[in-house]
Amino acid sequence: MLNKRYARRLEVMLAAAVCIFLILLGRMAYLQLYKGDYYGNQADGNRLRRTKITAPRGLFFDYKGQELVNNLPGYAVALQRQGQRDNEKVIGTLSEILNMPEDQIRKRIAANQNSYEPTRLKSNVSPEIVTKIEERRLELPGVLLELQPIRNYLYKELAVHALGYVGEASEYDITEGSYKGMPGGSIVGKFGIEKTFDKVIRGIDGSFDEEVDVAGNVVKQLGQRDPIPGKSLQLTIDKELQMVMEKAVDEQLAYLRSSGIAPNARAAAIVAIDPRSGAVRAMVSRPAFNPNLFVNGISEKDWQVINNDPNYPMGNKVISGEYPPGSTFKIITGTAALELGKVTPEELIFDSGQHWLIPMGNAGGEALGWINFQQALSMSDNVYFYEMGNRLGINNLVDFARKFGMGRKTGIELEGEASGLLPTPENKRKIFTGEDWTLGDTFNASIGQGIDLATPLQMAVMMSCIAGGGIYHQPYLVDKVLNNDGSVFEVRQHQEPYALGVSQKTLELIKQGLMGVAQPGGTASYFANLPKPMAAKTGTAENPHGRDHGLFVAYGPTDAPELVVAAVVEQGSFGSTSAGPIVYKVFEEWFREEGLIPSQAVK
Amino acid sequence: MQQNRYFRNLDWWLVIAIFGLVGIGICLIASATHSFAVTTGKAWHVERQSLFLAIDLALVIFSLRFDYRLLKDIATPLYVFNIILLLAVMFLGHSQLGAQRWIQIGPLSIQPSEFSKAIMIVCLAAFLNKRLETLDSFTDYLPALAYAFVPFILVMKQPDLGTSLVFMAILLGMLLISGFKVRWLMYMSGALIALMPALWHILKEYQKNRIRVFLDPELDPFGAGYHVIQSKIAIGSGLLTGKGWFLGTQSQLNFLPENHTDFIFAVAGEEFGFIGIFIILLLYLIVIWRGLTIALNAEDDFGTLLAVGITFMFMFHVLVNIGMTAGIMPVTGVPLPFMSYGVSSLTTNMLLAGLLLNINMRRQQLQF
Repeated sequence: MLNKRYARRLEVMLAAAVCIFLILLGRMAYLQLYKGDYYGNQADGNRLRRTKITAPRGLFFDYKGQELVNNLPGYAVALQRQGQRDNEKVIGTLSEILNMPEDQIRKRIAANQNSYEPTRLKSNVSPEIVTKIEERRLELPGVLLELQPIRNYLYKELAVHALGYVGEASEYDITEGSYKGMPGGSIVGKFGIEKTFDKVIRGIDGSFDEEVDVAGNVVKQLGQRDPIPGKSLQLTIDKELQMVMEKAVDEQLAYLRSSGIAPNARAAAIVAIDPRSGAVRAMVSRPAFNPNLFVNGISEKDWQVINNDPNYPMGNKVISGEYPPGSTFKIITGTAALELGKVTPEELIFDSGQHWLIPMGNAGGEALGWINFQQALSMSDNVYFYEMGNRLGINNLVDFARKFGMGRKTGIELEGEASGLLPTPENKRKIFTGEDWTLGDTFNASIGQGIDLATPLQMAVMMSCIAGGGIYHQPYLVDKVLNNDGSVFEVRQHQEPYALGVSQKTLELIKQGLMGVAQPGGTASYFANLPKPMAAKTGTAENPHGRDHGLFVAYGPTDAPELVVAAVVEQGSFGSTSAGPIVYKVFEEWFREEGLIPSQAVK
Repeated sequence: MQQNRYFRNLDWWLVIAIFGLVGIGICLIASATHSFAVTTGKAWHVERQSLFLAIDLALVIFSLRFDYRLLKDIATPLYVFNIILLLAVMFLGHSQLGAQRWIQIGPLSIQPSEFSKAIMIVCLAAFLNKRLETLDSFTDYLPALAYAFVPFILVMKQPDLGTSLVFMAILLGMLLISGFKVRWLMYMSGALIALMPALWHILKEYQKNRIRVFLDPELDPFGAGYHVIQSKIAIGSGLLTGKGWFLGTQSQLNFLPENHTDFIFAVAGEEFGFIGIFIILLLYLIVIWRGLTIALNAEDDFGTLLAVGITFMFMFHVLVNIGMTAGIMPVTGVPLPFMSYGVSSLTTNMLLAGLLLNINMRRQQLQF
């Protein structure tokens, strides 16, 4: 029998059990009797408190390294989980101080129920609120003031559509939108580069843990995790050029309205890119808005002003505005016709004011007589290009449009880009259910009217393909990601540039034609006043809802192109009188900067 | 009249201790789930625990009619059933805290690993009992070790570190009473310690964190260390006499999560104080004392093995659970026998206590 043989072992087991119980009892005596007062205090009011330190978002620099966006010191208000009874009173007081409905506060707390960390109630609170909370500390147990840098857009509206803005993540953002799973009250990028690069520039929040008594006095420091600031971005934007461009746009829009040339000219989109790389040097969309308004939570009044504007200030028309490219499309039609040998530069075509197959003609009904390619492009003759479309056929035309990047997103680092629309028979069938393609459609397509649509950015890229010697560069806004000490973390990679496969001879002929536009006899002859030879193309897009949109694309100087500018003025009518002068002013300042024009006396 | 003789042999010490523990347990569950009961208007946990207590009592009384020795015959099917059960958890169970532990059967959410502990005791006792004559050298014990290893590894895989350690405690008790040399045990522990660094890599990240945080709870006061810190505050603040039933601030204000299951002892400490805890520990000591006494008086080796296994299991649970709430053992998710809320655990423990009574009733009456 085991129990007889090992009876001693059973006795030892019992002795061991008694020892274990004595140890447990001793531990309890230690906790409850010896350290009892300490734990009693903790249970009464000493609480663990975690205060979050929001990581500062990365800074934005222009391409010369000048700061565009930085952070100012600020605070957020958070509430640490307390006993049920305390909370009710605190919520009432807080609701009054923060001017925030109690229900909203409760909702925030409920959403954070599964975490022991404090619930953030309001971000970027004003100094007055901070003072009020400090004054009433005793009534507000568990209320924390967390360090939270405030986003600061140094030049307000400047380049707002590219830079974007930040704001508090909405309920939708957190539950199913772009910021799923982030804690309530987080400040996140809502638009522009702030949004697309949010993960990179956000950084990692830190915190410090403390033990505090009922009155909020710190009893013990438990540890600190320093925040890791977000990475900074070096942009391709040229701050001075951006300023010049915004000023030029605003002055021109005001002039167009006040002079009566275009009383409804309120919206515009202008973009400047470097044809050598695709770097976007400036980007303007009008109307605009001040991003700083959103940082603190926009007021109802300000929001109404922005939201009720029929010209939609929140949209970036450079990438989301789709316009018929009008006569600027003749660059593509011309390239295709020359490259495929459908016409020689010497061949003369007779413009009687109307094409002989279909009675479609020039805008003003003029007739230019016998003209060659150069003259047709410089004077933007429609009949000549109808004939080019006729000889090419729609498929060849669309093929070339694709090479120039039409009909697809450029992939620039911004949300909300439109892809434009290619004038294909399939697209026509989709829009006008089942209607077949006609020769008239091909005519319209060859001069950029009809169903053809392009964004201002696509127009700039098209012009850049010519300026850059037949190379397509993807446009981009972010050049480098920088570490906190300013060293380079990452040089952004972009889509590999590709050659259009258009001969230098064709490009030279197009260039000569576009230079003709900017010389006496061309549709933008005033460009001849600039100190260097320029290439340009005007365009006017039919607009069924009002006056025509004015379009203009240009690059210069033609011997070594440095800058391409594309401009659209909504309801500005002729491109040469509405959009052209803006582009002219931009180049004027560009050359003045280079010392080619004597600087004006400062008024 | 056979029956009467058995009931005269009922171990009243054990019965009273267990009723005391279960009664205090239900009182504590009522307090710990008070805020839940107030918001839902229904004392769901208390009702459920009481209902199963009644069912379990009926089961125990019924089981006393049968001789525990009948279990020897069904040990092998039980062992197979156990393996299937554990595999079922792995594939069908739903998880909590990274571990798969629950199986849903109709309205019941059961924790098969609890029942698995009881089955382990019965099977291992039967297995050793059959081979007692041949147990001499260390190698004679290897089949028994292998036998225990299979369910052990399945539980480990779930991963349920707590239950697998309980298996080891059961095995340890039975080996000791079947004549396993203490020397061998020391060699094995030595080897285990040498293997520690390798075992560390097998643990899941959350288990590693529990051990790290066990060593220093303030590493993560809002995460893994939260339970232990809050539990210590609850117990410590109970002082000598406690804050009173339903009056524990830590427990009532939800500072202490899981307070009706694994951390129920902290509620006891806060509301009933050192005196309450002293009584509870005394009741557990009575259970252990009676368990070992029943082992000593058992009529046959099978009874001795069973009684030692059961006692070791109770002892281990009490040590690990209370040690955890007091911050001297890592958090492993082992419930407190007879007190923690949980029908699987309660049923298993009641049936095992019934088995102790059963062994006691059929003993030789030599000591009187």
